[in-house]
Amino acid sequence: MAVETRQRGAVGQSVTKVDGPALVTGKPVFTLDLDVPGTLVGKILPSPHPHAEIVAIDTSEAEAVPGVRAILHHGNVPRIPYTTAGQGWPEPSPYDTVLFDRKVRFVGDRVAAVAAETEEAADEALAKIHVEYRVLPTVFSPEEALASDAPPLHNEPDAEGIYDAKRNIAAAVDIPVGDIAKGLAEAPIVAGATCEIPYSQHAALEPHCVIAYFDEGGRLVLRTSTQVPFHVRRIVARVVGLDPARIRVVKPRIGGGFGSKQEVLLEPVAALLALRTGRSVRMACTRQEVFVASRTRHPMRVTVRLGAGKDGVLQALDMEVLSNTGAYGAHALTVLSNVGSKTLPLYNKARHLRFHGKAVYTNLPVAGAYRGYGATQGYFALEVAMDALAENLGMDPIELRRRNHIRVGETSPIFEKIGEGREGTAQIIRSCALADCLRIGAERIGWKENRGRRCEDGPWVHGLGMACAMQGSGITGVDMAAATLVMQDDGSFRLLVGATDLGTGSDTILAQIAAAELGVPVDRVLVYSSDTDFTPFDTGAYASSTTYVSGNAVLRAAQDVRQQILDVAAAAVGERTEVLELTDGAVQSRKTGKRLTLSEIGHRAIYVVDQRQIAATASFLCPESPPPFAAFFCEVAVDRETGVVRVERFVVAADCGVAIHPKAAEGQLEGAILQGIGHALCEEMLFSKSGRCVNAGFFDYKIPSSLDVPGIKAILVPSEEPTGPWGAKSISEIGINGPLPAISNAIYDAVGVRMIRAPFTPERVRFVLGATA
Amino acid sequence: MHRTGIRRFHLARDVEEALSLLSAYGGGGALLAGGVDLLRGPPGQVEGMIDITGIGLSQVGEARGGLAVGATTTLTEILKNPAASAYVGGILCEVLRQVAVPPLRNMATLGGALVSAHPWGDIPTSLVALGAEVRWRGEREGKAPAEELYRGEFRGLFRSAVATEILFPPWNGAFAYEKIGRARYDIALLNSCCGVGIRDGVVAWARVAVGARPDRGERLPWAEQALVGQKPRESLWGEIQDLVQGQVEVGDDRRAGAVWRRHTAGVLVRRALIRAAEKAGR
Amino acid sequence: MKVTFNLNGGPQYLDVEPGEPLLWLLRQLGMKSVKEGCATGDCGACTVLVDGRAVRSCLMLAPQIQGKKVLTLEGLGTVDDPHPLQKAFLDSGAVQCGFCTPGMVLVAYELLLGNDNPTRDEVAEAISGNLCRCTGYVKIVDAVLLAAQWKREGRWR
Ligand SMILES: Cc1cc2nc3c(=O)[nH]c(=O)nc-3n(C[C@H](O)[C@H](O)[C@H](O)COP(=O)(O)OP(=O)(O)OC[C@H]3O[C@@H](n4cnc5c(N)ncnc54)[C@H](O)[C@@H]3O)c2cc1C
Ligand code: FES
Ligand code: FES
Repeated sequence: MAVETRQRGAVGQSVTKVDGPALVTGKPVFTLDLDVPGTLVGKILPSPHPHAEIVAIDTSEAEAVPGVRAILHHGNVPRIPYTTAGQGWPEPSPYDTVLFDRKVRFVGDRVAAVAAETEEAADEALAKIHVEYRVLPTVFSPEEALASDAPPLHNEPDAEGIYDAKRNIAAAVDIPVGDIAKGLAEAPIVAGATCEIPYSQHAALEPHCVIAYFDEGGRLVLRTSTQVPFHVRRIVARVVGLDPARIRVVKPRIGGGFGSKQEVLLEPVAALLALRTGRSVRMACTRQEVFVASRTRHPMRVTVRLGAGKDGVLQALDMEVLSNTGAYGAHALTVLSNVGSKTLPLYNKARHLRFHGKAVYTNLPVAGAYRGYGATQGYFALEVAMDALAENLGMDPIELRRRNHIRVGETSPIFEKIGEGREGTAQIIRSCALADCLRIGAERIGWKENRGRRCEDGPWVHGLGMACAMQGSGITGVDMAAATLVMQDDGSFRLLVGATDLGTGSDTILAQIAAAELGVPVDRVLVYSSDTDFTPFDTGAYASSTTYVSGNAVLRAAQDVRQQILDVAAAAVGERTEVLELTDGAVQSRKTGKRLTLSEIGHRAIYVVDQRQIAATASFLCPESPPPFAAFFCEVAVDRETGVVRVERFVVAADCGVAIHPKAAEGQLEGAILQGIGHALCEEMLFSKSGRCVNAGFFDYKIPSSLDVPGIKAILVPSEEPTGPWGAKSISEIGINGPLPAISNAIYDAVGVRMIRAPFTPERVRFVLGATA
Repeated sequence: MHRTGIRRFHLARDVEEALSLLSAYGGGGALLAGGVDLLRGPPGQVEGMIDITGIGLSQVGEARGGLAVGATTTLTEILKNPAASAYVGGILCEVLRQVAVPPLRNMATLGGALVSAHPWGDIPTSLVALGAEVRWRGEREGKAPAEELYRGEFRGLFRSAVATEILFPPWNGAFAYEKIGRARYDIALLNSCCGVGIRDGVVAWARVAVGARPDRGERLPWAEQALVGQKPRESLWGEIQDLVQGQVEVGDDRRAGAVWRRHTAGVLVRRALIRAAEKAGR
Repeated sequence: MKVTFNLNGGPQYLDVEPGEPLLWLLRQLGMKSVKEGCATGDCGACTVLVDGRAVRSCLMLAPQIQGKKVLTLEGLGTVDDPHPLQKAFLDSGAVQCGFCTPGMVLVAYELLLGNDNPTRDEVAEAISGNLCRCTGYVKIVDAVLLAAQWKREGRWR
């Protein structure tokens, strides 16, 4: 699949997003924009307690509310353990969840659900469900959860896949390479950092929502805001006990996901309410419910210890993780594993490595997949530790990275040792422009001129910081995507993909990949995606997989269709396919100059001679996971008196291989950087002493607004990934890994204190400054 | 988001009608201005909504050398008004530009902010610092400084009265406003509005108010006294900072802790005073 | 109760519930561009223009629009004939998921009606009440500046 020198057509062009015109004119393309007449309103009764047993539940008064059509609770719903994590089968997350349990494990946990004719009736019914609870002791931190006398959250006998339920450990890993103790002891220069990330939110603008309705044949249709339509279908079928063949899942346009919609949350409840009532049901989370009862980033404490030679080359690298998975273990093991697997290979020189950690249950909201998927937490500690190591070495931080980072042709033992909840796969780096990223980014920010200068401007002190990161492109040996490409009689194409565009632009990028292969403009390729009835399988939008995995599937299908087109043309002009060329919407003979347009070919194939459908379905199984690389640079200003930190400029230079759609790639970086700046400066979910989230909304959980955007400069540094479609790798996650460490390191450059607990609020910065003054 | 409790909606034509509707509902009626606060939370006990944006209280003008602002004037209208922009070197607009965001300022009214009186509010701190006076109509007409109202049972008062006008007195000097939030668009973790007048090279008067501590903005009379009669110079501002850091009453809430608030209150007061003195000296 | 108002240029005469949020009413009338992102006035997804001013339709009751002019994104342009501002959003890559886009376009429209030569900071200020979690706002600001340039060049209709 070597990159050919053929014309790339649409690839590399920032073409109009295929769904752009509808989005920018406000067409009804989102889940809840569909009005299904006679739809019931579904709502969920949340637990008021962080940990309690349900002794009794009385729904008689609620059932009597006019307009109430169904009430679900543990007493009338079959008990089937599953995981809400929308992962491929077999899911590596523990089966520690049932639709409605006898026990609630966090404030906001699901107690019951109602379907009613109106919002008002549903609310009234919820208020009239009487639940008697026996309150249980609670644990609100991983340390408490691990204490010997801690109450076990998951003592139910039917849970599966929990690492050590008695000790509240959802998952654990310990991967040694070489002899870490010896490596650290013998290294002449050491450094380390322990960094903490709190509960934080994806904050996609569209709250989670679903409409469940029945089609003409009585099959259940779930129109849902999801990143994983095929997993939704599989998991819902099992949990509600319906033949999967009776379920169709449709993902329309969705208003952002960032991982929180890789979770199967409302769909089984809506499905069951629809089945019980025989009516369509619509469910939507309030913003508060999204905060509390959807998913969050895994709060973590990550400790990194580094040992290096005097030349700065790493000899030992130890990373220890304590992850809080909340009340359920969604993505507990895989996020934990990725803290190491997506970070440690970046510095592949160390011969002694250890990656070990635990993911622990607490009586707090459930963590899940979130852009970066553990790597974000890992890089915070790793890159702050690298900054400290550079200082101890008296070496420029960029130079330290240069001496250590992985390069083309190299590998890391970690690729093979850590996979997604199982062993990984060895892989060799085939493309890496990190050295260029470092150079270009450093020039752009003015590293040489400004680093270490501590320029002052009143109380403000300026500083520069940097960090590096890599991610992956899909899950090796697990992620599979398929595409069907059909040629129409007018010579245009239909591209059917299971891939899930959650605003990232993947529909457009996949169309570009096909269009480039077929020598047509993008508007000749109609994309239809994410419908389990009509599109072939795709694992879904996660693990930075779509451009690489789904893109390769599309490319294969397009190559096949291209060949079929040439075959038809060859028969028509009476020449061999080898002398034919497909460009600019036509096939032309290099020998005779004979020319047939695609519409003539399409017409001929369908109506004229030897009629047949020109079409192909191809699939692609992720054989390896080529990492994108990035170097991050920022300038901050710190107000020494108040502790306020302002990010003045942010430069990211990233290698995503060939950018299929440069503006979309930049947009992914810019958005991820700003989310990362939010993590660094202001985002944190706060809890009362009884475990209730006290800032569940945008009023008190601040996400950055346009006023908080520094000059962000996203620079795409090209490389060519030989295994990627048209040379492409992923780009959507990596950007979020940089801001935390880069900003922390810049604050250190400015005022000499290490911020290791996010977010770096004025209060925390002042506290640390005061302590050192 | 659905307001099941609301049974009636009235567009009052004048103050009298608003008042009579209010009394007709007993406790079940609410005056609706911008709605930014009232329609945000759960509906509570409100049965009848009385829209007061059409009762003729949306004007801004000079008054006795100061400024008079009708209670239902939106923050945007104030920001666009030339008289308001000119008031004491533009201090009111300096504050309002830091209140919420443009679409909310298009809706929110000064009267609503006065009555809601959020402890973290920028407007209450500034009303107090600027010595604003509030006029209202209830059973009787009334008038009192905002500061005095806030010390009393003002919430009870405005359950049966309409705030009609906010009067800002003239000041021979200048004010400045300082605010810190978690992000640029945020409510205050701490705010301060300070003013000074300088005559014959010494501070003739001073106003120092600090809000969101986490309680509502109040003046610090002892800091004001310490300023009066002094020469405005670098060391004075430092002394006032120390004084404020020593004496200001602060507390903890989920947004910030008392230690930070105490320290930062001094800093904000110093910064506001320096800017105000600079402006006043010009 | 009865309300009369103008929606995207056409008269409406309707019976509404006194406590009905304007956001719901507009969506019921088919104006699905009006999005609910929070229902508490914090995100701006529900933005519409009332008498030319951007407001939060989740913080308004239906009867409050009596006699007023409401503009939603549906009233600005169509797929076949987008408003130049909408075109600028497309060309600049300012649309990712598109959920914030209706509100963003409308606050930008309000800004550009009164100021066809805004600075980057003025644009950032104008859109500061509308949260976008996808784009980092960079390309949204680019789009508004591009649309302003087109307006200055007389390319708005
Ligand atoms: C998202 C958000 C961000 C905000 N950010 C800030 C900020 O940064 N800084 C800041 O200072 N404030 C901020 N606020 C608060 C805002 O300034 C006030 O909420 C607003 O000014 C209230 O005005 P309104 O006209 O909308 O009041 P309404 O909601 O209409 O009314 C509020 C209360 O006052 C009563 N009332 C209103 N007018 C009168 C009157 N004339 N007489 C008697 N009673 C009356 C009402 O009955 C009600 O009880 C914010 C609010 C929100 C929702
Ligand atoms: S839905 Fe109205 S501001 Fe968020
Ligand atoms: S484009 Fe998704 S929220 Fe703005």
